Amino acid sequence: MKKTLIVAGVASLLATTAMAQNIGVTMALFDDNFLTVLRNGMVAQAESRGINLQVEDAQNDVAKQLAQINNFIASGVDAIIVNPVDTSATQAMTDAAAAAGVPLVYVNRQPINLDTLPDNQAFVGSNEIESGTLAAFEGCKLLRAAGKSNGAGIYILMGELSNQAAVQRTKDFDDIIGIDMCNFISVIDRQTANWSRDQAQNLMTNWLSSGAEFDAVFANNDEMAIGAIQAMKAAGISMEDVVVTGVDATQDALVAMQAGDLDVTVFQDAAGQGSGALDAAVRLAAGESVQTTIYIPFQLVTPANVADFLARN
Amino acid sequence: MAQTTHGVGGVSFDASKRTWPNEINVLLALVLITLVFEVLNRMDGGSFLFNTRANVDAIFNEQRINIILLQVAITGIIALGVTQVIILGGIDLSSGSVVGATAMIAMSFAQTAVVNGNPNPKAIFGDWAMDLPVIVPIAVGLGCGLVAGFINGFLVAFTRIPPFIATLGMMVSARGVAKWWSNGNPISFPTESYASLSNGDLLGSLTFGLLSWPGQNPAVVFVLLAVLLHLVMVYTVYGKRCYAIGSNEDAARMSGINVARHKVLVYSIAGMLAAVAAILLTSKNLTAQAGMGVMYELDAIAMAVIGGVSLAGGRGSIVGTVIGALIFSVIISGFTSIRLDAYYQEMVKGAIIVGAVVLDQWRQRRRAARS
Repeated sequence: MKKTLIVAGVASLLATTAMAQNIGVTMALFDDNFLTVLRNGMVAQAESRGINLQVEDAQNDVAKQLAQINNFIASGVDAIIVNPVDTSATQAMTDAAAAAGVPLVYVNRQPINLDTLPDNQAFVGSNEIESGTLAAFEGCKLLRAAGKSNGAGIYILMGELSNQAAVQRTKDFDDIIGIDMCNFISVIDRQTANWSRDQAQNLMTNWLSSGAEFDAVFANNDEMAIGAIQAMKAAGISMEDVVVTGVDATQDALVAMQAGDLDVTVFQDAAGQGSGALDAAVRLAAGESVQTTIYIPFQLVTPANVADFLARN
Repeated sequence: MAQTTHGVGGVSFDASKRTWPNEINVLLALVLITLVFEVLNRMDGGSFLFNTRANVDAIFNEQRINIILLQVAITGIIALGVTQVIILGGIDLSSGSVVGATAMIAMSFAQTAVVNGNPNPKAIFGDWAMDLPVIVPIAVGLGCGLVAGFINGFLVAFTRIPPFIATLGMMVSARGVAKWWSNGNPISFPTESYASLSNGDLLGSLTFGLLSWPGQNPAVVFVLLAVLLHLVMVYTVYGKRCYAIGSNEDAARMSGINVARHKVLVYSIAGMLAAVAAILLTSKNLTAQAGMGVMYELDAIAMAVIGGVSLAGGRGSIVGTVIGALIFSVIISGFTSIRLDAYYQEMVKGAIIVGAVVLDQWRQRRRAARS
């Protein structure tokens, strides 16, 4: 009896070391399209590698997210993946995981303490500066190609004002407009549509009702770009005459691009970030060292190469 | 139309105690706010409501007037239901989430099989659910709203938990349903007939081509529903019972009103109106997303409150809510027209909501002191 118990005990120990992989994931929020692709990429990767993934929804609440991390630590996970709600609140998360010696990987959103992360922590994401820059520069080139280099007016659709990506992309737009090649562009107005297609549609209609002449709409994401397109089409504006740029390369955006409505978008490899984060977490859990910052590059999407991206996100 | 009892307890009409209907004040506020934006625009050389474009032959800026109605139509439809619930003495926090859940579920029955020659990349079900007649998603959507509203009403009426808690529960659960339905993925690419629900020309078909207002169907539906529900609230037993229960529930019960049944009915109707909003919203945007409708319940409540609907119950009207919605919308459009920085918009919006209620309270006290 005793013997069988010991055997069973050893067997279970062996079994846990052999599988070894219990990974806790806390996502900033579930009902975000991009983060959903990222999450599903992670889940698919985990399933194919036989890793136990427990995914929690922090519902955009910093306190809830920290509590989830502490719960993961308490239940003895091998590694934690965090998609931070607020990138300026990551120090406490790093401290909690470091104190317990649990490896931690930030995904998609760059933590503020990136420079001081301990050895068993890493960040997997894309270099956010690339996305807005790629989109705005391509938009600028299209405006030049359309012969508008003697002056062009644009509207800028911004994401949530409290969001780092929105602030960064808007700044990148401004930086591009500031360079010599693109300084013929002037911004007529910039407003937030909170990443939402519906709000962008209403905002664009409001802009149209003011009757100002414009040549392009630069949006912080695709959903807002599509909303603007829908509003312009409803007002009878030909999409040939307006340059519209987005970011994200969502399915809806790619279809809009095939239809000739959207001119530029930028592909951020959500699934790639998800599987990259999982890979880093597994390797840290196994005691290997990984680079502190692992960048998954952005890619420019135009009608010329849109077909390559149809099955990617 | 059934007759109800009026003139209780020998109170007689006294012309000196007659006061303006509440709605007049709200309407004045609307006119005042519009005027402020008109002046601010004029100072900039433009105009808020009037046409200033030389190449367009019109008195008014038609696009502006269209968007003012269109951009609040969908939350306005929700507000029509919320108004009834608040007059009844309740509250409905679930409408935004019900919009989200209904949007996802209805849209998955409205998808088209082929997009730009490729199979629909966002397909939720198999081929059997593709290109269904438009009545299917409408019926499914209205059914979702009805179920959610019925559960709200049932909880409020029969378990006697406060409406705040019952509908808070529905708010959280329905949002859960919205996220679970497709694992958070958006559902896009509806059939053409579904897209035309919002983007077609309903006014044209209703008037057999006499009038035409293409692309403004949410606004048309909003106005039609508002007129209908206004008549219902003012002239039918249903409306009288709402006011009676909201003013004094015990008295209403003792005078023979089946309070529980009526509550279930009102919450169910509010749920259905949220479903109508969800169908129009998804049709207008050609997509359904799990995050749709977030905060709509608060916008709807704010519209009702600005329009003079009392959170204590028993007081307010559909007309007031419609004007409240228009105030909301004029503020949004007005800020954009004067290109006010996005940061300030929300601050001012909040202040206006609170200001409207403070003004209303002050007026109530003054009226009470006079009578």
